[in-house]
Amino acid sequence: MLRFIIRRLIITIPTILVVITLTWGLIRLAPGNFYSGEKRLPAAIEKNIRAKYGLDKPWYEQYGLAMRQIVTLDFGTSLKYEGQSVASIIARSLPVSASIGLLAYLLALLVGITTGSIAALKQNSKTDYASMALAMLGISVPNFVLGPVLVLLFSLTLYWLPPSRWGGLPNLILPVLTLSAIYMAYIARLTRAGMLEVLRSDYIRTARAKGLTERAVVMRHAMRGGLMPVVSYTGPALAFLLTGTVVVERIFALPGLGNYFIQASLNRDEPLIIGIVSFIAIALLMMNLLVDVVYAYLDPRVRY
Amino acid sequence: MKDEPQIPKSEVGHEEPALTPLGTEPAPPVRAREGDVIHTSPELAVGEGDVRSAERGDIVAGSSLWKDAWRRLLRNKLAVFGMIVVALVTLAALTGPFIIRKVAGFSPDYIPTNDVKLIKSFPPFTAPDGSFSWTHPMGTDNAGRDQLARVLQGGQISLLVGIIATLVSLVIGVSYGAVSGYLGGKVDNLMMRLVDVLYSLPYIILVIVLLAMFRSSTPLGQLVLLFVALGSVSWLTMARIVRGQVMSLKNQEFVLAARATGVSTPRIVFRHLVPNALGPVIVYATLTIPSVMLSEAFLSFLGLGVQPPLASWGSLAADGIQNLAIFPWQLIFPGVTMALMLFSLNFLGDGLRDALDPQMRKE
Repeated sequence: MLRFIIRRLIITIPTILVVITLTWGLIRLAPGNFYSGEKRLPAAIEKNIRAKYGLDKPWYEQYGLAMRQIVTLDFGTSLKYEGQSVASIIARSLPVSASIGLLAYLLALLVGITTGSIAALKQNSKTDYASMALAMLGISVPNFVLGPVLVLLFSLTLYWLPPSRWGGLPNLILPVLTLSAIYMAYIARLTRAGMLEVLRSDYIRTARAKGLTERAVVMRHAMRGGLMPVVSYTGPALAFLLTGTVVVERIFALPGLGNYFIQASLNRDEPLIIGIVSFIAIALLMMNLLVDVVYAYLDPRVRY
Repeated sequence: MKDEPQIPKSEVGHEEPALTPLGTEPAPPVRAREGDVIHTSPELAVGEGDVRSAERGDIVAGSSLWKDAWRRLLRNKLAVFGMIVVALVTLAALTGPFIIRKVAGFSPDYIPTNDVKLIKSFPPFTAPDGSFSWTHPMGTDNAGRDQLARVLQGGQISLLVGIIATLVSLVIGVSYGAVSGYLGGKVDNLMMRLVDVLYSLPYIILVIVLLAMFRSSTPLGQLVLLFVALGSVSWLTMARIVRGQVMSLKNQEFVLAARATGVSTPRIVFRHLVPNALGPVIVYATLTIPSVMLSEAFLSFLGLGVQPPLASWGSLAADGIQNLAIFPWQLIFPGVTMALMLFSLNFLGDGLRDALDPQMRKE
C-alpha cells in the first residue's frame, strides 16, 4: 500500500508542476498585463510596482520566483485587492466554497444512492423509469438555469428563502440544492448500474439462498459491490464540484474561491490567479490520491 | 440481444427483452463485437479486391451491423424522441432567423430605433399596447430585440461550438489513441501515461485562465479560441476508447493481410483500423456534443465565452439572469431550450450506445 501511495505521489507532483507552469505560461504569453487597462499609471510608478512584484526580471527568474512561492506556499499580495495577501483571500473564501461543496456532495450521495438503489431493485417499473428520467433531467438542466429558477420559485414567488448572499443556514439551501442536482443524477445512475450488475451475480443468489432477508441482502451484500462505481466517481466529482461552485457562487453572489478566481482572471491579478490555481491543483490532486487509496482499500481486486 | 439476458441494461430507456411481446420478429443475434470486423475468411482476405475495398474504408460485412443498430435504435422510444427533438431544434435554429426576417421583417439583432421604451422587455405574445400579438412569441429582451430570433440564433452558435469542438477532440483523440494502440509497447506506455497526467488536471481552470488572458478583440476570434480550448481538453476519453479498440483489432487477420500486401503503417492505422472502431467513436462523439455545449454555456455564462453581438444559449441565459425578478422569460426561454436540447442529445447518445454496442458502458 505504501508503495502504491508513493508511486501515485511521484505522478502527482509533476502534475501539479504542469498545472502551475501552464497557468504561469498562459499569463506570460498573453498580451498586456494588469497595468495595461484604461487608467494608465505614470511611468515611474509603474516601474516601481513592476520592480516590487519582480515583473522587470527576465522570464526564467520570474518562473523561479513563482516556483519558490509555491514551494514556500507564500503567494505574495494581490494586485487588485491592495494590501491583502493571497493567502488571506484564500483562507477567507475557502470555507464558503468548501461548505457548499461538501453539503452538496453529501446531499447528492444520500439522495442519489437511495434513488439509484430503489430504481435497481424495481427495475423496469414505473418508479425506475420515472427516477431515471428525472436523473437525465438533472444531468441536462444546466445549473445556471436551475439556480435562477429555484430563486424565482422559492425567493421571488413564495418568499421562503433568501435569494442570494452569504449568511445563515437559509442562505445555504438554494446554492446547495442547485449544486447537488447534477451529482444526485449522476450518482443515481451509477448506483443503479452498479446495483443491477451486482444483483445478478452469484454471491447475491447465494445470500438469498441462505435465507437472508431482502434487507440484509441489499444493505450488507449488494451495496458493498454495487457502490464501487460511486466511490470511483468521487475523484472526477470533486473536480466538477469545483466548476459547479464557480457558477453557483456567481448566481448567489457568494464570496467563495470560485468567485475570486473568476474575478482575478478577468482583472489579470496575477499573484491571485497563480495562488488560487496552485491551491486548487494541490487540493484536488491530493484528494484524488486519497480517493484512489480508499478505493484500493475497499476493492480487494485492485492490485498495487 | 434477447439471447443474452446476462448483459446488464444499465441505462435509462433501454428496452428490456422482457418487455418485448412474445412472437415478434426474433432479434438478430448480438453481433456488435464481431460485427466491427470485416468478416472475410483469412484465405480470401488476401484477395486483391478485399484488400482494396478495405483500403477504401468499405465496411464489408458491417452493413448488417449498421442495419441492426438502426433497428435497435428505432425500438428505443426515448432515443427516437431525442432524435426527433434534436432534428427539430437544429432545423429551427438553422432556418428560423431567416424565416423570421422574411415573415416579420426583423433580424435577431434588430433594435427598434424609434422609441425603445415601447418595445423593451415585453412579455411573450404581447404587442406594445398590451394586447395579444404573435409578433414576439417569446417576448423581447432588454434592448427590444425579439427573443425568439435571439434564441434561435443563439442555438446556431451553441450547436456550432458543440459540433466543431467535438470534431477537434475527435481528430486529436482518434489519431492519438490509434497511434498509441497500434504501436504498443514503450511508446504506448508513455503516451497513455501522458493521458493519465492530463486526466487529473483541473482543465476547466486552465480553460478559464486561457480564455480570460487571450480575450480576442473580435467575436469570431473568441469563437475560434473556444473551439480550440474546448476541443483540446475533451479528447482524452476518446483517445482511450480508440486505443482499446485498435489494440483488440490489430492482431486480426485483415491487418496481417494488409501488412503482407505492403500497406504502409499510417495507412493501416487510418484506413483499416480506425474505420472498424467507428461504432464506439460515434457513440462517444454523440455524448461529447452535449458536454461541450454545456461547457460553452458555462463559459459564456461567466462572460468568457461567446462575445456580443454573437450570442449563445449560455450568454442569453446570463443576460436573462440580470432581469430575473421582473422579466423571468428572458432566462426561461434560452434556458429551457438548451435543457431540452441537452436532454435529447443525451438520450440519443445513450440510445446509440445501447444500439451499437450493448456491452459498452459510460465509464
